[in-house]
Parts: sequence; structure tokens; C-alpha cells
Amino acid sequence: MLQVEDVSFHYPGGVNVLSGISFSAGAGEVLALVGRNGAGKSTLLRLLNGLRKPTRGAISIDGRNTAETPVHLISHSIGTVFQSPEQQVFNATVRDEVMFGPKNLPLTAQERDTRVAAVLARTRLTDQAGQHPLDLDQAQRRFVALASVLATQPPALLLDEPQRGLDAQSRSLLEGIILEEKAAGRCIVIVCHDMEFVARLATRVIALADGALSADTTPADFFSNSRLTSEASVEAPDILRLSLALGLSPCLTPADFAGAWLNHHHLNASQG
Amino acid sequence: MALIAIENLVFAYGPKMPVILDGLSLSIEAGERVAILGGNGSGKTTLAHWIAGWLPRAAMNATSGAVLANGKAWPAWTALERAEAVQFVGQIPMQQLSGFAFTVYDELVFGPGNLGLEPDEIRKRADWALDICNLRHLVDRDPFTLSGGEQQRLSIAAALVMHPKALVLDEPTGNFDPESRDNLLDQINRLPSDLTIILCDMALKPALAIAKRFVLLDGGRIVADGGAQEILSHPRTSAIFGMPAVMEAALLLQQAGHWPAGEDLPLTFGRAQEQFGRITHVAG
Repeated sequence: MLQVEDVSFHYPGGVNVLSGISFSAGAGEVLALVGRNGAGKSTLLRLLNGLRKPTRGAISIDGRNTAETPVHLISHSIGTVFQSPEQQVFNATVRDEVMFGPKNLPLTAQERDTRVAAVLARTRLTDQAGQHPLDLDQAQRRFVALASVLATQPPALLLDEPQRGLDAQSRSLLEGIILEEKAAGRCIVIVCHDMEFVARLATRVIALADGALSADTTPADFFSNSRLTSEASVEAPDILRLSLALGLSPCLTPADFAGAWLNHHHLNASQG
Repeated sequence: MALIAIENLVFAYGPKMPVILDGLSLSIEAGERVAILGGNGSGKTTLAHWIAGWLPRAAMNATSGAVLANGKAWPAWTALERAEAVQFVGQIPMQQLSGFAFTVYDELVFGPGNLGLEPDEIRKRADWALDICNLRHLVDRDPFTLSGGEQQRLSIAAALVMHPKALVLDEPTGNFDPESRDNLLDQINRLPSDLTIILCDMALKPALAIAKRFVLLDGGRIVADGGAQEILSHPRTSAIFGMPAVMEAALLLQQAGHWPAGEDLPLTFGRAQEQFGRITHVAG
């Protein structure tokens, strides 16, 4: 689905921001792209969605080489939700914004209406459909941006700090949607500083340090390796640190931890 | 006299728009370090705009209630007076950049230049802000080529060079990796103690690092105003910020009948390590 082969990039006249990056991802994978500020995450994001072209190497998404494909066609293969929804929302109502993508796809009017209604319901924006997107609160604006991408049903999703500024209730809604998209076979790349969020959702961690790939491994292995977390300037989630401190296997979620703890003490969930 | 005095403020962005702030009263003294916390749509950012005088004059005049900065309503302040009184740093650093500067240094001296300060004073302030926000190595870079976290540091530096009496920060560390976040919070804590800092955030960590006073907003109203413990134990806190993972794990064990009766649920990693260590010992 997603193939990054020996990719390097520099801005005109500048030094390499990314050097020799290679990784691939398939359907149903959730990749967390992590690293310290300035490591090259945002640049890699712009390479993945075709806004920038690699200065060396190649990226292909759903069989399309990003250097040879116009950006509007790349967007059929990978939908991007940028960090600030204000940068990608431009219609006067939420419904028009979400409808914009499907309108540019070969769908009948009924198919478009059905698809938009379903996406608005999933993102809990049905009641806000007639409002201006920028009149909504921060969380709802983010869900408008997400809904407009989901409505085009691309095989891959690129989410830049999607959890930022969301309260617990909104985060829970977002996590549910990401898991549904994963189950539907989407390949999802999340740029993220929130390691609790990464631990809950990611199947793999891609870490960047100084423009190079410093890790491509499972979240449990990544967070258990202090050298890797230190290079990427991330903090392992508390629940994982607690599991290691108590001699358990690395746990990524509270439910994992509770199961491992009971197992460790030969107890079962119903025993008092 | 309070630096900011808000009395019974009722505010909506238009006549047919929902009420965002609903009869809110708040007083902030000079030198206070206050965190304004709340969930999505609670009114944090709107309140931050009010505190910083960042709303259109017509909107401020059409509002019920009173907001006074040093005893004077915001519409009576000139732009220059306001710039030296309160600086606001928003969530989207790209929107804070002047657009007139081709380097980080030029961006920093843009504001003080408009205050008509002497060149020596401008240089001194810029040097100070470069160090505080860890920007010296980026001084010649184009602000628009910086990463999100670097732009955020530049936005904060550009506010500090104005030497305001109060600094309003809206989710200032949202773009930061933990190391950059901790460095910045440390530097903010070293700022002159007479600088009033008002932090609006969804994350507890920056608030706990900076603030002494915590104001919890819900539905445009203040539901709690006090110290850290009061806020952490408030019933709305878990719903807004989510339950700490270590607490959720303990709760799952409690529900399964494997958490000792009378043992409280841990809020922090340190407390969880101590409790689980002890309980593990008993269970094992």
C-alpha cells in the first residue's frame, strides 16, 4: 500500500532534512510517526501526500509514484488531516465541506448523500451540518476535517497530531473511528507526540532522529528500549513503565496491564 | 486593583450564536500564575481572548457584563498600550508570524521596533528571548521553514520581547516533544515573578508545572477555582481529561475483585508504583 524507498529530501539550497528513509506499510496497519521537534516528521508527511517530491529515492502509494502523479490524484489514494483544520476547511457549511470530496468522485447524487450522512453521523456532526465549520469548537473543526477525508474513502489516511486539543470524550470518539478504519483495511499513518495515544492504537512505530530512520518496530519493543525512546525524545507511557517496573511483560493499555497482572499472580478476572 | 477583573460576563459571537461564556466572573491579580482548564467547547479560548483584549471592539461593546484590565475596559485601550500590557500566544503558531520577517531575528525585533524602542534595547530584548526560548541556533532561519514546535517557541519569544505585564498562553506546548516541553516550562518558571501568566490548556502537565491557581471551566461557567488538589479531585476532571492509565488499570482490578478494600486508586505513576509494589507483594 505504502512504499518509501531510500528517500532523501532537502529544501532548495539547504542541507538534507531527511536521509535514506525506507519503510513500507500494508492494509490495516497503523503506523505512528514519532520524533523530536525538527526531526523531519512534517517534511515526511508532505512527501507522503505529494505536496513535496523526494530529492532522492521514491514513494509509492497504492501503486502510484508520488513524484509522477498530480497531487489531486494522490489525494484519491491518501487523505490528509492536517494539524490545523483551519488550513484545509474552505466551504461555508459543514455539509458542503464534507460533500466536496465525494462531489469530485464518480458517484450518483444518492450515493454521495448517503455517504456524507453516514460520515457526519460517525463524527457526530449531523446536528452541525448547516453551520459554518469555523463557528464550531476546536474538536468539532477537527472532526469536520476528518469527515471530509473519510467521505472520499481513500485506501490510506495521514493524520497529523489528530488527538491534539481533544478532551477525553472527543479522543475516545477519534480512537473508535481510527480502529474502525483500521478494521476496514485502511493503511493509517499518525504523526503524534502523545505516546498514550500511540500505545493504544499503533501497530508499528516509525521513529525519526536527525532526519534518519532510528526505529521501525512494534510499540512494545520501541517503548521498552530506552535508547530508542531517548533518541526520538519521547516518554514511554506510564502503564508500560509500570508493567516493566513490576516485572511484567510490556503492557500498552490498562486492560493489557490488568490481564498481565492477574496472569502473573495466577488469578482470574472473576476470582475475589 | 486586580490586573484583570471580569464580572458577570455573558458572551456569544453573534446574536443568533450559542452563548460561550455564561455569567462568568473572575479576578486575576498582578503576578499570579493561573491555569484555565476545560474540555472542548468549555469557553477556554474565548475567555483567553477576552483576558488579552483580542476581540473586535464592536463585539466587546455589545457584551453584557464587564471586563476591566487595570480598571479600564479593553475598548478604551490603544493597540500600543495593549501590546505592552498583555501578549497572547495562540494555538497555531503559523498564524502568529508577522509575515514581514525573513529571519527569526527579524521576527523578534518586529514588535519592539513598532514600539519605537532604541536599537540597543531591542537587541537586548531579542538576545534575552532567544536564550529563553532556545532559538539561538535558528536565528538566521526563515520562520516559515521552521517546524511546528520551533514556530511555537518563536511565537512565545516574540510575545516576551514586548515585555508585557501579562502573558496569555493557549495550549503553548501542544506542538512540543517532551524534552522541548519540559525545557520551555522550566524557562517559563524562570521568567520575572511579577509577570502574570495565564495558561489555557487541555493537558494537565503544563498547568501543574506553571500554575498555582487552577480555574476549571465547563459550559462557559467556572465550576472550580482553587489549588491543584481541588482540581485533580473534582468530579469533572476525569471526564474532561480522561482517567490516568495507571488509575484505569487499578479500577479494572478493583472491578475484578483484586484491589484491596480501602486502598485508594492511584492518580500518578509514582503512587501507582508504590501501591502495586505493595499489593503485588501481598498477592504474590
